[in-house]
Amino acid sequence: MSLWVDCYRPKSLDELHYHESLSARLRSLAASGDFPHMLFYGPSGAGKKTRIACTLKELFGKGVEKLKIDQRVFLTPSRRKLDVNVVQSNFHLEITPSEVGNYDRVVIQELLKEIAQTQQVDINARHRFKVVVINEADSLTRDAQAALRRTMEKYMSNMRIILCANSTSKLIAPIKSRCLLVRVAAPTEEEMVTVMKHVASRQNFRIEDESVVCEIARDAEGNLRKALLVFEALKMQTGSLNGPITIAKPDWETYCIKVGDMITQEQSPQRVMDVRTKLYELLSHCIPPTVILKTIAARVVEKVDESLKADIMHWAAVYEVRMRVGNKKIFHLEAWVVKVMSIYKHFFYGIDMGSFE
Amino acid sequence: MAAGPSAPGSKPVPAAKDSNCLAGLSFVFTGELSAFSREEATDLAKRFGGRVVSQPSSRTDYVVLGADAGPSKLAAIKKNNLKTLDEDGFLNLIATRVPDYTDDKLKKKIEKEQDAIRAAANELERREKEIEKKVKGKEKGKDQISNTVPLGSQLWVDRYSPHTLKEVCGNKGQIEKLQQWLNDWPSSLKSGFKKPGKNAMNTSRAVLITGPPGIGKTTAAHLCAKLAGFTPIELNASDARSKRLVENSTNVSNTSLDGWMHGTEATNAAGVKITDKSCLIMDEVDGMSAGDRGGVVALVALIRKTKIPIICIANDRGAQKLKPLIANAFNLPFRRPEAAAIRSRLLTIAFKEKMKVPANVIDQLVMGAQSDIRQVLNMLSTWKLSNNAIDFDQGKDLSKMNEKYTVLTPFDVTYKMLGPYMFSATARETLGDKMELYFHDPSFVPLFMQENYLKTQPSRIKNDAGPEKTLKHLELMDKAASSLSDGDLVDALIHGPEQHWSLMPLHAVCSTIRPASFLYGSGGGYGGQNPMSFPAWLGQNSKQSKLNRELMDMQARMRLKVSSDRHELRQSYIPALFPYVVKPLMDEGVSAVGTVITRMDDYFLNRDDWDTLVELGLDEYKDEVVLKKITPATKTGLTRKYNAADHPIAFHKATDLGKVPKKLAAQGPAPDLEEAP
Ligand SMILES: Nc1ncnc2c1ncn2[C@@H]1O[C@H](COP(=O)(O)OP(=O)(O)OP(=O)(O)O)[C@@H](O)[C@H]1O
Ligand SMILES: Nc1ncnc2c1ncn2[C@@H]1O[C@H](COP(=O)(O)OP(=O)(O)OP(=O)(O)O)[C@@H](O)[C@H]1O
Ligand SMILES: [Mg+2]
Repeated sequence: MSLWVDCYRPKSLDELHYHESLSARLRSLAASGDFPHMLFYGPSGAGKKTRIACTLKELFGKGVEKLKIDQRVFLTPSRRKLDVNVVQSNFHLEITPSEVGNYDRVVIQELLKEIAQTQQVDINARHRFKVVVINEADSLTRDAQAALRRTMEKYMSNMRIILCANSTSKLIAPIKSRCLLVRVAAPTEEEMVTVMKHVASRQNFRIEDESVVCEIARDAEGNLRKALLVFEALKMQTGSLNGPITIAKPDWETYCIKVGDMITQEQSPQRVMDVRTKLYELLSHCIPPTVILKTIAARVVEKVDESLKADIMHWAAVYEVRMRVGNKKIFHLEAWVVKVMSIYKHFFYGIDMGSFE
Repeated sequence: MAAGPSAPGSKPVPAAKDSNCLAGLSFVFTGELSAFSREEATDLAKRFGGRVVSQPSSRTDYVVLGADAGPSKLAAIKKNNLKTLDEDGFLNLIATRVPDYTDDKLKKKIEKEQDAIRAAANELERREKEIEKKVKGKEKGKDQISNTVPLGSQLWVDRYSPHTLKEVCGNKGQIEKLQQWLNDWPSSLKSGFKKPGKNAMNTSRAVLITGPPGIGKTTAAHLCAKLAGFTPIELNASDARSKRLVENSTNVSNTSLDGWMHGTEATNAAGVKITDKSCLIMDEVDGMSAGDRGGVVALVALIRKTKIPIICIANDRGAQKLKPLIANAFNLPFRRPEAAAIRSRLLTIAFKEKMKVPANVIDQLVMGAQSDIRQVLNMLSTWKLSNNAIDFDQGKDLSKMNEKYTVLTPFDVTYKMLGPYMFSATARETLGDKMELYFHDPSFVPLFMQENYLKTQPSRIKNDAGPEKTLKHLELMDKAASSLSDGDLVDALIHGPEQHWSLMPLHAVCSTIRPASFLYGSGGGYGGQNPMSFPAWLGQNSKQSKLNRELMDMQARMRLKVSSDRHELRQSYIPALFPYVVKPLMDEGVSAVGTVITRMDDYFLNRDDWDTLVELGLDEYKDEVVLKKITPATKTGLTRKYNAADHPIAFHKATDLGKVPKKLAAQGPAPDLEEAP
């Protein structure tokens, strides 16, 4: 059996919990025959992909659930092989261009051209167009975005594009202007509790202690996926789900917390180098640098004096921006660590010396 | 301690009583002086005739102590009970000392040296006259056209090429061995190369001399061959050697070597007569045309059956293509001769040429040329064109001008940059010089800097103590780290789509020079408490890309079931799946294999994905920790059971299906981003 998150994922617009008015809007759009390009955006685990899948089903019917994966290979001019995984049904296909890094522009162009040139073969299809879902659209390079712009207009007759992104800030304006923007906000805690109750009833058990699910919802910070995963893990661990419970943090988060504590415990060159080793460990294990920075910063802020919090968060923001522009993330992570140590130590001695007076 | 504000140029060099006032003394310098940089101070010692050595020993006369002296040197001072001087003491010594010329020992020594030089110069003179006479005689007799150029217009290197073994400087032991081997050749040949002989060389039919340029390898080979009664036949890189040429020129394929021995005389392709008294000198074997391994292989084949001695010469003993040769010839590595071994020879030549060159200048030149005698001779002969004397400073400039452009390794650059001298008040390096260092390897030096910048005891805070020192140290670290961060941003512009190469100097400053300017100091050295290390970034980066690729594969397979992208997969799913696909194997062992595999099948995970999943773990899920708790039996159980059955497959890899990759067009010019929508 799959995990609950995957088992009980809504399959149609009717089944979707929360954001009902959005669901209704999507339904009428699908029925109108005048379906635009769309941009779904919202935080992780808010339900964007689920909602996209439901919309597709509304558009084309059950056929969109018959998925297959087609792996395509491309050869770059420098003779590097690129694998691209295309998830597709008869009516739509889904790509994740960030898989190919800087080659995203040429790969997208190649794929879209191909699709645009083939007509819908299924004569029973409800629409003449195919839908192309582009995942992680906010990591498209600017080149790729610029190229996409023309394509979106040129092939409008037999293709629609649905972009899926966490935020719109990294998308260029011309792209946004060509899409219907659909914001999928994070569910509230109550909404998440409702979903968990629904899952429990499908699993045939009753939630006796409501405070536990509330705790899970609070901890998930709007990420329903996370909530459901934790919900299941706790159920498996404790059996009854009766409080008080401690929500086990994932491996990388615990690790980040330890790093945060290393920073507040000692401030020295050696400590920076020890922290560097840990940061490398996190990076090489595929934890995104921004997540690392945020998690560690949150821990440090928890531990330091009130008067330092704003400063530390300010520098975290500065170095986060730098990481996005730069190549070697560790350089910026470490610069932040050193900065925090310096701030912390100055504060520490400031107090010490004050007490001598 | 001689700390205090360092003041470059604050003290004048005293007028010495005697230009050779430090003669007979040996010095060691350690720590940092206040008015002179290390280099300037050692120069002073040499200029006035002193010797400078790097490590103190019982024979050291003075140790000149500056601030922050190296602990190992301090220990040696104590152990050997050496005299020490501070900066002023050293200057005072220069100002006041007069070498005791009345000291018999010193006097005799100097006289003896000068006599020897005079005698050797006379010998050179005599020999040249003789040769000249011979040449004239030949010309009168209308012999064949002489190939000797008039001596006056010969290059010094040829004119003063050693004629006797005594005149060859350095490597005496090796040369003796070569001589012995050649002398023994006839008997070695007779015994079928079975008797090793005194130097265990006589079982070899060939010798391989290796060593840096201009130290007399070719010279020694020719001389030894001649002295042992052989006629040298030289083949070198300028005879574009190939496999065929090697064979032809020695008639290996046409006439057998026995042919040369028994027939009266054979001639090789180059038109040189080969007799049993020939000695083949294969010079510059490492220059055999690139990729032409055939040449070396043919040479080895030749060596296996040769009946005349073969001497091979090469510069780089480590060269890959020399491997077969090294295995088939006796190896005679030549070292750079010490300055002392070369000094008298060069003084003799200078004397003969009526040039005034003091011994310390010669030493300076030899050092600068790294004992390349050929180069020193060339330098002197060019100098002679305009001057008959050369003093210390001129010598210094001359050798600077001729300094071989050696590429420093990033290790050396980092060591120099972060070391205590580069940014000290007495340093004379300009910003340009520092940039040069970066340009030795612009892609690696910044990585080395980032790896090592925290390992020093910064000189900037050496006079501080307590909390103030700690705080200042952190401030410096902060500045350095943020400069490194700047450097990466510049790097992104340089290597980004627009390729702003013109930003390289800015990159040099941000990534290398500024960070070092804050944190330079002692302690980061090779022997220091924090030795420099190779950047971890490289290994970590490739590990990251590998795991990232595997994670992407895994995500692709799970895609039919799971809506998340790879980041969420790593951050939420893997920790959630762990209790179902890994933990049971840790807790229950083999009995859990069945349920684990069912779970994996639910998500189209294969056996490799299982490994990836474990490898991606951190903290208490770290692979080492986890794998320790899974018995090998369980693990093989998993593999066996997994392989025994068919599994649902999300998709086949394109390459497995034999798909031909589609060629992508070159990226072409980037589309105009600013164009109106
Ligand atoms: N409206 C909903 N009602 C009930 N469950 C939902 C709803 N939306 C999402 N879920 C649950 O949350 C999980 C995560 O949703 P989904 O994958 O759509 O999020 P997402 O916003 O696309 O996340 P990401 O940006 O990380 O890809 C789904 O697997 C599903 O179980
Ligand atoms: N050890 C030496 N003693 C005296 N003179 C030397 C010595 N080494 C080199 N020379 C001078 O330099 C000249 C060049 O030396 P030689 O050709 O032997 O160098 P090499 O070691 O063969 O260098 P390469 O590796 O560049 O071929 C000689 O003609 C001689 O004038
Ligand atoms: Mg030579």
